Amino acid sequence: MTTLVETQGLTKRYGSSRGIEDVTFEIDEGEVFGFLGPNGAGKTTTIRTLMGLLRPTAGSAHIGGLDCWEQSTDVKRLVGYLPGELSLDPNLTGGQILEYFGNLRGGVDQSYLKALIERMGLDPSRKFRQYSSGNKRKIGIVQAFMHRPRLLILDEPTNGLDPLNQQEFDRMVREVRDEGRTVFLSSHILGEVEQTCNRVAIIREGQLVRIGEVAALKDIKRHDVTITFAGDAPLEAFKTLPGVDQAEALADGHSLRLAVSGGLDGVIKAAAQHPVVNLTSQEPSLEEVFLRYYEDDGAVAKEASHVVP
Amino acid sequence: MWFRNTYLKTLREYRIAILGWGIGMGLMMFAVLSAIADLVSTPQARATLVTLAKSFAWIAEPIHVDTPGGYATWKYGFTILVVVLWPILAGSRMLRGEEERGSMDVLLSLPESRARVALRKLAALWTALILIGLIIGLLTFLAGQSVHADFGLGGALLYGLNISVIGGLFGSLALFISQFTQSRRTAAGITGGLLALSIAVDIVHRVVPNTEWFSRLSPVYYYNLSKPLIPSYGTDPVALLVLLIASAVLSGVAVWLFLRRDVGVAQALPGMIHLPARPMTPERALPVNAWSLQSVYSRSLRSMAVPTFWWTFSIAAFAAFMVFIVEQTEQQLKQLYESTPVLAGLIGKVGGGDASTNAALMSFFFVFLPVMLMAFAVTQASRWAADEEDGLQELVLATPQPRLKVILARFGALTTATIIVAVVTLAATVLATVASGLALDWGNLVAASLSIIPMGLLIAALGYLFSGWLRTAIDTGLLSFLLVIWFVITFIGPELNWSEGVMRLSPFYYYGTPIVNGLPVGNMLLIIAVTVVALAIASVRFMRKDIAH
Repeated sequence: MTTLVETQGLTKRYGSSRGIEDVTFEIDEGEVFGFLGPNGAGKTTTIRTLMGLLRPTAGSAHIGGLDCWEQSTDVKRLVGYLPGELSLDPNLTGGQILEYFGNLRGGVDQSYLKALIERMGLDPSRKFRQYSSGNKRKIGIVQAFMHRPRLLILDEPTNGLDPLNQQEFDRMVREVRDEGRTVFLSSHILGEVEQTCNRVAIIREGQLVRIGEVAALKDIKRHDVTITFAGDAPLEAFKTLPGVDQAEALADGHSLRLAVSGGLDGVIKAAAQHPVVNLTSQEPSLEEVFLRYYEDDGAVAKEASHVVP
Repeated sequence: MWFRNTYLKTLREYRIAILGWGIGMGLMMFAVLSAIADLVSTPQARATLVTLAKSFAWIAEPIHVDTPGGYATWKYGFTILVVVLWPILAGSRMLRGEEERGSMDVLLSLPESRARVALRKLAALWTALILIGLIIGLLTFLAGQSVHADFGLGGALLYGLNISVIGGLFGSLALFISQFTQSRRTAAGITGGLLALSIAVDIVHRVVPNTEWFSRLSPVYYYNLSKPLIPSYGTDPVALLVLLIASAVLSGVAVWLFLRRDVGVAQALPGMIHLPARPMTPERALPVNAWSLQSVYSRSLRSMAVPTFWWTFSIAAFAAFMVFIVEQTEQQLKQLYESTPVLAGLIGKVGGGDASTNAALMSFFFVFLPVMLMAFAVTQASRWAADEEDGLQELVLATPQPRLKVILARFGALTTATIIVAVVTLAATVLATVASGLALDWGNLVAASLSIIPMGLLIAALGYLFSGWLRTAIDTGLLSFLLVIWFVITFIGPELNWSEGVMRLSPFYYYGTPIVNGLPVGNMLLIIAVTVVALAIASVRFMRKDIAH
């Protein structure tokens, strides 16, 4: 696998305000890479720095071996970009907008363009100002895909799309992946990221706090375990076990609910010391993982050590 | 306090405009009145001023121009109507602007009726206009006191009120027109055109005898019926009432339409005047194959086509009109020059050369051409800054177009537009000169018409330069301020005998008097050099800066 996108200590500050700080990651060719974070976390700043719209304060960003700032024109030949907020000339029709950007890219395959328009169910004869927010988003998606770029950088791509169009969009992303092309997808719709991405990075307050395979992220994070004992629940025996972050007795007096990081071996061995009626373990959804990274302020420094580029 | 209701919130948005327009236009009165003492220092000078004012009656009716109030009323003439630009912008933005931004949806989701929202916003506009008029009135009173004027505080305040009322009328007109347009810019543009037309219609009766009936169609005519700074003339309450009633009707109909139409949708025009829609099926929407979509340059040129057309029309019509005015008053002017050497000196200072020729007077008028072209360039430089701020550059710069190419293509389109303005103006002037039989040097006429191009490009390049650091509103304000200051230096400086060093601060000094003295090659090269340097720095800045969004 060749590395297509690479950032090294990428930092962007707006005067005294925070932007992003020391963001380092790599994306291999053919990957669908999810970029998660709440509003204001630094997703858009990272993306606009990759697009050469912002100049890094420190560090570097490369796409296809090209510096995103110094060689931004060449970088943009490789990229299809959908910004988070789409601003286009309200007096042009959808068709005119697509033709204009197609010309600025040196021309696009008209039959592919028409196919994309059809798939998204878009009417290109209407003026941009007459479109609903969902249809405006479709224009953005089509213009990002229409020149078959090697890399798609999509900032909150499905905002405003109806479920049918979201499904169609997911299919388009999978097709891109199957063709060996690469997608960098920023989103806070976790189900979408979970379904379409190979790897995920989580950004918080401008810093990357987690990066890894979607499956691995889920695995290493936390299990919610509920154990029902035949007798009274032995709460003290579990509180101090390694990996148990939280332990509480339920109202029935026989059950314990545990939040466990890492493997369950210690918990199961401890439970085996007592007569157990039932044991359930629930794997967290990506959403729960995501929320965990934002639930307390002290987490950034602690979790940053887990960043695996 | 300011966020308690729609009225206070809207008034808060107007606070900078209230102070800026009020103080700015009020201070202009100090500059105008400061000249009166010299102009009436001797009986001969006084007589000259009266004769001069009669020759320029088209600007404003000359009544008691040898008094401070009469001189200020005549000298300010229709130029005070610059203040009307703000209510036009505010009126067009009041409802349509909120709808364009989508904030009207949020506003109307609150438990407040549409009528109350609209009326509170309208009340805020009128409050702002009254405050602007009050500031202008107070500063006019103070300026009058400094030259021992014969008008008092009451007259000065009525002068301010008259400005508020004419502003309110055009603001109401913009509000009314905005009900029929999808964009606030379109409404502001149409209303701005109607303002220019109203001024022209009002001028007609002062230039062509027996046409007062025609001028009565113009709101500006009713504005000019009141001259509160001239105590013996006073205020015409009927004229004020006519303007107020017209404002109330326009605002009332606008609010009535707003209550009945869909939010975010333009009110359909009656069938008779509705432009036929050009239906297009989705299947035929692509490929468009339009020339304007081929490049950033062609797209930029197309986007400025409509304003370029109207500015070209206005500037060329003005130039041609001036040719006819000079030709018609040629004999009178010659007599005037012979009898009043002071007047000859005044025209000669601004017009250049020998004032006994009609070329000197033409030259005096031609200095307005670069002013107008530069005003056009300011609007386009402002759009360049606004496009970045509105995020319209985001996707253009996401294509493999170098930033340098983008800025130069946009500036190139503006250059093309200014060349079109200049060439059409030249053609209109030549036609008018031939038709009227006025004797002018053709070479100098070409030089005077075409040398306005570098003037327009100069202020555009400065606008591009400032936009590298400043937000759109500040960029536009700074350019407008420069234009006004340069105008004041060139047109008031000679009357005040300002030094050559001060006069050199204005680019109009370098434009010179080409109709009389030919193309000032050295000066034009200097203007072009400054333009190139400003554009080069603007380009480097644009290539290195973060793109706003």
